[in-house]
Amino acid sequence: MQIESLLQVFASGLLMGLLYALIAVGLSLIFGLMNVVNFAHGEFLMVAMYAVYSLWVVTLLDPVLLAPVATAFLFGVGAFAYMGVVRFAMRAKSNVSMVQIFATFGLAIFIQGVAQYFFTPDYRSITDTWLGGKTISIGGLFLPAPQLIGGLISIVLFIGLYLLMSRTDFGKALEATREDQGAVALVGINRNKVFALGWGLGAALVGAAGAVLAIFYYIYPQVGGPFALIAYVVVALGGFGSIFGALAAGIIVGLVEAFTAVLIPPSMKTIAVYSLYLAVVFIRPNGLFGRL
Amino acid sequence: MITRRQALIGGAATSVALQAPALLAQPREVVIGVIFPMSGPSAQIGRDARFALETALEIVNGQYDFDLPTARHAGLPGLGNAKVRLVFADHQGDPQKGRAEAERLITQERVCAIVGAYHSSVAATASVSCERYATPLVIGDSTSPNLTRRNLKFFFRTTAHDEMFSVAMFDFLDAQRAAGKQIKSIALFHEDTIFGTDSSNVQRQLAKARGYNVTADVKYRANTPSLTSEVQQLKNADPDVLLPSSYTTDAILLVRTMAELGYKPKNILAQAAGFADQAVFDAVGDKLGGMISRASFAIDMAAQRPTIGRVNDMFKARANRDLNDNTARQFMALIVLVDAINRAKSTEGAAIRDALAATDIPGAQTIMPWAGCKFDKDGQNATANPVLIQYVNKQWVTIFPAGSAVRGPIWPMNG
Repeated sequence: MQIESLLQVFASGLLMGLLYALIAVGLSLIFGLMNVVNFAHGEFLMVAMYAVYSLWVVTLLDPVLLAPVATAFLFGVGAFAYMGVVRFAMRAKSNVSMVQIFATFGLAIFIQGVAQYFFTPDYRSITDTWLGGKTISIGGLFLPAPQLIGGLISIVLFIGLYLLMSRTDFGKALEATREDQGAVALVGINRNKVFALGWGLGAALVGAAGAVLAIFYYIYPQVGGPFALIAYVVVALGGFGSIFGALAAGIIVGLVEAFTAVLIPPSMKTIAVYSLYLAVVFIRPNGLFGRL
Repeated sequence: MITRRQALIGGAATSVALQAPALLAQPREVVIGVIFPMSGPSAQIGRDARFALETALEIVNGQYDFDLPTARHAGLPGLGNAKVRLVFADHQGDPQKGRAEAERLITQERVCAIVGAYHSSVAATASVSCERYATPLVIGDSTSPNLTRRNLKFFFRTTAHDEMFSVAMFDFLDAQRAAGKQIKSIALFHEDTIFGTDSSNVQRQLAKARGYNVTADVKYRANTPSLTSEVQQLKNADPDVLLPSSYTTDAILLVRTMAELGYKPKNILAQAAGFADQAVFDAVGDKLGGMISRASFAIDMAAQRPTIGRVNDMFKARANRDLNDNTARQFMALIVLVDAINRAKSTEGAAIRDALAATDIPGAQTIMPWAGCKFDKDGQNATANPVLIQYVNKQWVTIFPAGSAVRGPIWPMNG
């Protein structure tokens, strides 16, 4: 294979990896904060895509302009999911983690059902966007505009998230709540409020990813599934709760997937991703950058 | 002298006596099971199938001047004008659920036959249950060739299978080559479930037998989030003809990714499935001008056969879209089954099976370009000859074989 093709595969893998990272970081954040694996994460992505699609149908504004709206909307969805469902699941007297798994899993099925009811199972696509179908070509290297902007958005949001977690009172409150839920109550931090904001933040990040994805992907009620699966691998690979881990692991998964699809039959490209994950689990059970 | 009371009793008795034969001949109900993906990733297929089958049901139970079996009678004349009722079941694209639902339809809903199933993998498992309970299964749209090679007695398939489709596709390529067009290399691009695998196996053999050079053979994972590396391989190979076997989601992603990577295939000759789904053309139709797909249905034949247009109008009133390859075949599967039940004059599985085996419907009495519907010993409709259609100016035009073609192909497709 020529150098040019390899560079192309590298670029595609990198851009897709940045998007995987953005999808996964919300999941990682929620897990790191309160040890809850959100099984409705893929459905949050789907809701974001439908939100952008619906707004586009009504306003005909470009998805790039609608992305902040979708992000804000998903913040609400995430906070509501915590206040309406997860908060109660966490009160279980025994088998708390099982109750949480089934609660978020049930939430996933519920959201899918609602989407199928209102939007039908038909495949939707957003057409005629500023970025859709546009490609920047540099010396034989093709960089699709939606993925390129998506990658930039991902990097900007990761920097913002890092600053938020390390430089603000809110970030410190999240960190403190994660470390000792009892102690933060003593200093007057409302645990439920912090958790709700954490869920909102996690969902908002996947909302931004969904808005980018809606530009070049198709939308249907089960669209979140394959992405959620990758997000779980990214989180486990990067380390539960680690923001930088999610970024690094997302890029690794994107690159591994892209290169194995060239080297072995592409139908088996996920095998390489899961093998890598298994290797990390054996050698470093906490993930590459895990602190737990 | 007859008292008023006696007169009333007599009158009542007379009216009962007059009604008795009518009560005895009260049309029975014929219950048919329907098994499709009503939820899950292929739910839209099931939704459209429901519209198609309900259209067929309306024609069977009502009286229509259509050139279709049983259309001109309300109900089934062979069973005292019995009306047909459908019971829908959802297999979600899961072979195990398909088998369980088929058993439920037979043992609990007491259906006399089943129509399905879209996914070949589901048809494979459901057919085993049907065979065990001696209940006929009529498949309208699952095209894996192996389905009719398992010596099943209660399995019937009205549509052509992928081998017949692929042969038609290569016949077309041969015809183009004979006409002096340059076709040396082809690329196979197929998903990794039974549909894509079987389709590509046949295409690989045909390519070898007929002297086409396969420059890329890409088996990809269905419903994958990204196809960039896969498309890069197609781009490197740059074949004269690209032959994709993909369902809807992957078809949309494939076309978008090709455009993003600056790859414009010289020609696309698709194994229908996703490339027969309107959702693909709504999303990326602007990039598919001139692509060719194998098909079972040719809506432009409505000019020659008015029934097609009238059935399409009835379907469109329900589904808000035109009949396509899938829905037309699902419609026909139910019509063929109901015709057999009518001739069997029975709702017994064995009697319906024998009637199905004796089916002989001329092509003119279908809405398909078929020579007819007549099953061979394996239950395959051997006379379901496929056509090739080309997407030109947002319309499908039948271009092959010569007997059905409305006009010649545009080749190369961008040409």
